[in-house]
Amino acid sequence: MLSAANGQGILKKLKDKAQQATDKMIDKKIDDAVGVDNNSNNNNSNSNSNSTDMSSVGRKGKPSNKTGEGLISTPPNVNENLTTADASFKAGKYSDARYATRQAMLGVQMEIGKKLLDGLPETISGLKKDASSDKVTSAGWGMGWSGLTIQRDYNQDDKQLSFTIANNAMWMQAVNMYFTNSGYMQTSGGEQKWKQVRVQDEKAIIEFDASSGYKLSVPVGQTTLLIYEGVNFANEQDFMNAVNQIKIDSIKKQLGEK
Amino acid sequence: MKKIIFLLIVIALCSQSQAQEFAKRLTEAKTAYSSGKLDDSRFAMEQMLQELDIITGKEVLKILPAKMGDKAANTKADNVTGSSGFFGVIIHREYGTIDSSNVDLEIISNSPLVSSLNALLSVPFMGSAGDNKTIKISGYKALVQKVTGPNERADYEVQLPLNTTLITLKAPGLSQDDVIKLANTLPVADIAKMLQ
Repeated sequence: MLSAANGQGILKKLKDKAQQATDKMIDKKIDDAVGVDNNSNNNNSNSNSNSTDMSSVGRKGKPSNKTGEGLISTPPNVNENLTTADASFKAGKYSDARYATRQAMLGVQMEIGKKLLDGLPETISGLKKDASSDKVTSAGWGMGWSGLTIQRDYNQDDKQLSFTIANNAMWMQAVNMYFTNSGYMQTSGGEQKWKQVRVQDEKAIIEFDASSGYKLSVPVGQTTLLIYEGVNFANEQDFMNAVNQIKIDSIKKQLGEK
Repeated sequence: MKKIIFLLIVIALCSQSQAQEFAKRLTEAKTAYSSGKLDDSRFAMEQMLQELDIITGKEVLKILPAKMGDKAANTKADNVTGSSGFFGVIIHREYGTIDSSNVDLEIISNSPLVSSLNALLSVPFMGSAGDNKTIKISGYKALVQKVTGPNERADYEVQLPLNTTLITLKAPGLSQDDVIKLANTLPVADIAKMLQ
């Protein structure tokens, strides 16, 4: 039994070494193909961070940008895009109709996200909301793909609660797997890394990692996943008290989840 | 003649009902949005996209060649399935009526999974490694792959990615050159225009 385990260990090491060698070779071939000199790249990376930007490869004396107000982040107008979709569809321009519909969907998703952020508490367990971290991301795919993601952080000194809502997210299937796969068993001995809990009547998974802190994942309804991440919370109860100040029912209602 | 007229009437009625469905969903999306029911509005838009996918898929089937080599299109097996999202919409067409030698054409549209094949084609030494060969079909880069057929026979299939669309042509029993010849009869530019 011991020799079999040793054999597996050696095989694993050999596999890792082979993987490393293959990765190096592929990196080198890609660098050769795009004409990047590794040595010069490394030397330049300290003096100018733009040197790794593909657009400036081989161009000397490129000025660095000092002005510009960035991009306008106005969400697409839903009504205008729906009207365009209608007109394009009637004219048989299905590709244009699809683009306009996706733009309208993007607009409505951004509005949903903003409304959800407005409904979240201003402070949680003495942690203040960090308005600069508020983020609503919509991939515009709408179904199955990355969908809508809403983020909000609460901070006080080195204590932080990050809250993410992922709606229509493909990867929430991974969390549901915890609940359905008997292979993921809770242990009573040794160090407990994760366990199932209930939060406001929803089944959830809480995890703890010494370097990243507490993490709670709550799948809600059919297509929504809520993720709470707590850094520097004293204990599980302290973290759960903070989590419970965000009302899941209200989020479910706004996202049309049952 | 009567059968053809009947078929044309059925097709026309089907397209009309799909157009009506789209208009119905559009009205739902607008009404829900103006009354602040954002999630209902979004759901109606998702259904609009589904309708568009099915309609576009049927339009693509119309422009596909009527024959591939000596095999006529088996339009009874034409199919458009799925919906926008991770796996995309699948447009299916078969040529011939004998399962083992049918030429199969499958177009997966609006699938983010396709981007991985695009990456493969952008690195020349990877696309042309082993049993893969990078070729051009109507000016578009494509990959011809050797696959194992029945009794260890070498079969070939052509894969052509167009942004988030993937065209796959399978022709069991044909040589690599013949499969490439068949792929060259596809109206790739028109398909790309319709599915972009």
